[in-house]
Amino acid sequence: MTTTSLDAATLDLLTGSVRELFAALPAGGDLGPALDELGWAEVAAEDPATATTLLFTEQGRSLACTRALDAVLLAELDPVLPPARGTRAVLLPTPADGDEPSRHGSTLTGVLLAPPGTVDEIVVATTHLADGERSVQLDVHPAPVLAPLAHPVQGFDTAGWVTVSGARPSSPHERIPAGTAWTAAAAAAQRALAAEILGTCDAALRIAVRHASDRRQFGRPIAEFQAVRHRLAEGLVALEGARGVLRSAWEVTDDPGGAMWAAALAKLQAGRAQARIMRDVVQVHGAMGVSREGSVHRYVSRAAALDVLLGGRRLLAESMGTAMLLTAGIDPVARL
Amino acid sequence: MTGTVAPPAPGPTTLASDPEAYRAALRAYLGSEASLDRWRNRHHRTTEERITEHAVLMSGLHRGRWNRYGWPADAGGLGGDERHRAILYDELSAAGLPVPEPHLMLETLGPPLVRFAPELAAELLPRYLRGEEWWGQGFSEPEAGSDLAALRCRARRDGEDYVVSGQKLWTSHGATATRLMCLVRTGTAESRHRGLTMLLIDADTPGVSVRPIALASGHNELAEVFFDDARVPARRAVGEEGGGWTVAMYLLQFERAMYAWLSSTIALRRLRELREQVGARSTHDGDAVRFAEVYADIVALRARSAETVRRLASGATVGPEASIDKVLLATAETGLHDLARELLGGDFVLSAETHAAQWRADWWYSRASTIMGGSAEVQRTILADHVLSLPKETSA
Repeated sequence: MTTTSLDAATLDLLTGSVRELFAALPAGGDLGPALDELGWAEVAAEDPATATTLLFTEQGRSLACTRALDAVLLAELDPVLPPARGTRAVLLPTPADGDEPSRHGSTLTGVLLAPPGTVDEIVVATTHLADGERSVQLDVHPAPVLAPLAHPVQGFDTAGWVTVSGARPSSPHERIPAGTAWTAAAAAAQRALAAEILGTCDAALRIAVRHASDRRQFGRPIAEFQAVRHRLAEGLVALEGARGVLRSAWEVTDDPGGAMWAAALAKLQAGRAQARIMRDVVQVHGAMGVSREGSVHRYVSRAAALDVLLGGRRLLAESMGTAMLLTAGIDPVARL
Repeated sequence: MTGTVAPPAPGPTTLASDPEAYRAALRAYLGSEASLDRWRNRHHRTTEERITEHAVLMSGLHRGRWNRYGWPADAGGLGGDERHRAILYDELSAAGLPVPEPHLMLETLGPPLVRFAPELAAELLPRYLRGEEWWGQGFSEPEAGSDLAALRCRARRDGEDYVVSGQKLWTSHGATATRLMCLVRTGTAESRHRGLTMLLIDADTPGVSVRPIALASGHNELAEVFFDDARVPARRAVGEEGGGWTVAMYLLQFERAMYAWLSSTIALRRLRELREQVGARSTHDGDAVRFAEVYADIVALRARSAETVRRLASGATVGPEASIDKVLLATAETGLHDLARELLGGDFVLSAETHAAQWRADWWYSRASTIMGGSAEVQRTILADHVLSLPKETSA
């Protein structure tokens, strides 16, 4: 809140424009030109926290599938990479690896936000272990090389993503040490994903509030029953608590170590919020919540899909809890 | 500091206008003052002993001027705003020190006194800040808990006095408090929230009797107070006669925001202490996840209440959305103490060690976090009514 340099009126205007932009975006459409038209780069430069959170919140609300997350990752990775030959995407770690790129080996796994054919190059991060030292290397592959390894996602929510799995390409390509760029990129992406998850939560909670106010049983709107009211109030608390952690994560971006920890925490808390909110939103909708007749299932599965990218809630809790119990101090994250 | 020329310490004016300078100066003091060790890792056998011992810490902080920032000069303070108070609690907790118990109720009772009864604040608040006395809050009654507007303790105007008769219940710090800020009925029995007045009543007034109430832990955290035609000077009214509800609602902003922040700083200190206590022993599967989740809930409370503190400091009124802070507080408090109970295992129940005894007592107190200051159910109803704007609840 205190870091916001955009005034409330400008923010409302921007939110409206971005919302319209997503509403008009065709499936698989490119967000880039529309954002350029809005002068988004200027907004993002002036207030990256507000701009990123707004963009990804609206993407979550609209359930759009874009490559906006690639842009967030590449903003951190491009400076250490050779100049791009055309458009780039980033191979995200497979969910089992959390926010850590998979070990270098003969096989390659990961998730792409769109089929390889939609870009010219793909950046693949890999963890290398040498003399007990961990380092991340970035391989830049021509996109067609990964095309044979790509399969459309068949999961809970397809989101237009593809999974990549198979023998690591041996064709010549450039390999660059990531330095700290990968951790910075992963932290930025976790903040963006947290916003997107909370956008789906916000939309689902609003739909549930409207449904509970309209749906009548026993001669009255079901929102007049305390059991229903309190569930929805709990959802609001989970949403606002997670939003608070995300704003705090944006306030510590100057300190790389603190930024990484806080971004992971924001992602963890957003993941927990969606689990709680989606459970209650489905329940409030009755049978409609579990059928394709209603829209609720789309939010439930999108939030679940976003949760597993770059560290699902369970994985993040496990690693952060272990770090605190064994070694690390306990970071207050949120400051006055 | 010997042998070197220290840069001149920032003066009170600088610290009052610059919370971060205040934080730096305070942190340096807390990190270097060896006499403060007396209050680190201390477990007290009784509530009375604890609050008395904490009052000594408070008087030391007052001598060093530290706890006077954030309070107006007219009331014994040195200026500044809510952020100074919030920083004091945060830095004390970060330095492994307790937030002196009297500050808990000061945070709730001080602001309405300053706002609605500045003369009383000028007269009495300096003593509170010096740790010479502390007060209790008399809201609940046997027939008025969550339904506060149903309260019946009566005050009848008689010349220059109010004559108070009735009963208050569950008064925090009631057994040792020297004054009680009580919400009493001056209107008709049916007047609900319109016929209420806030009075600051001395506990030693003839006709006032206090009976400590032991929590399940055995500690006298609370009390019940009986008023038998106790005469209270009319000048002890905080705000207008009949304006008690307004004062109470103003007070609740601080209870839901400042108290939540203060509690989050203590919760983080207790989580660190818990980690040190269990660190050596082997943990079970799932302990790490539970630990991280409780930690995340405490940070969520911090993040949310830090924003609310900033809003209060900017002069904004905090509305029904403060119930979000209150629910986050209860979630963090119950979560932390359940975690301690799980991680300490058999020791939580059986150990005679002081740290186990402390967790046991605190665990019982943490159960009250979903009850006091408006139950968890009341907070959810406030959110459903005023933030989500759901249709009002109807009875079957």
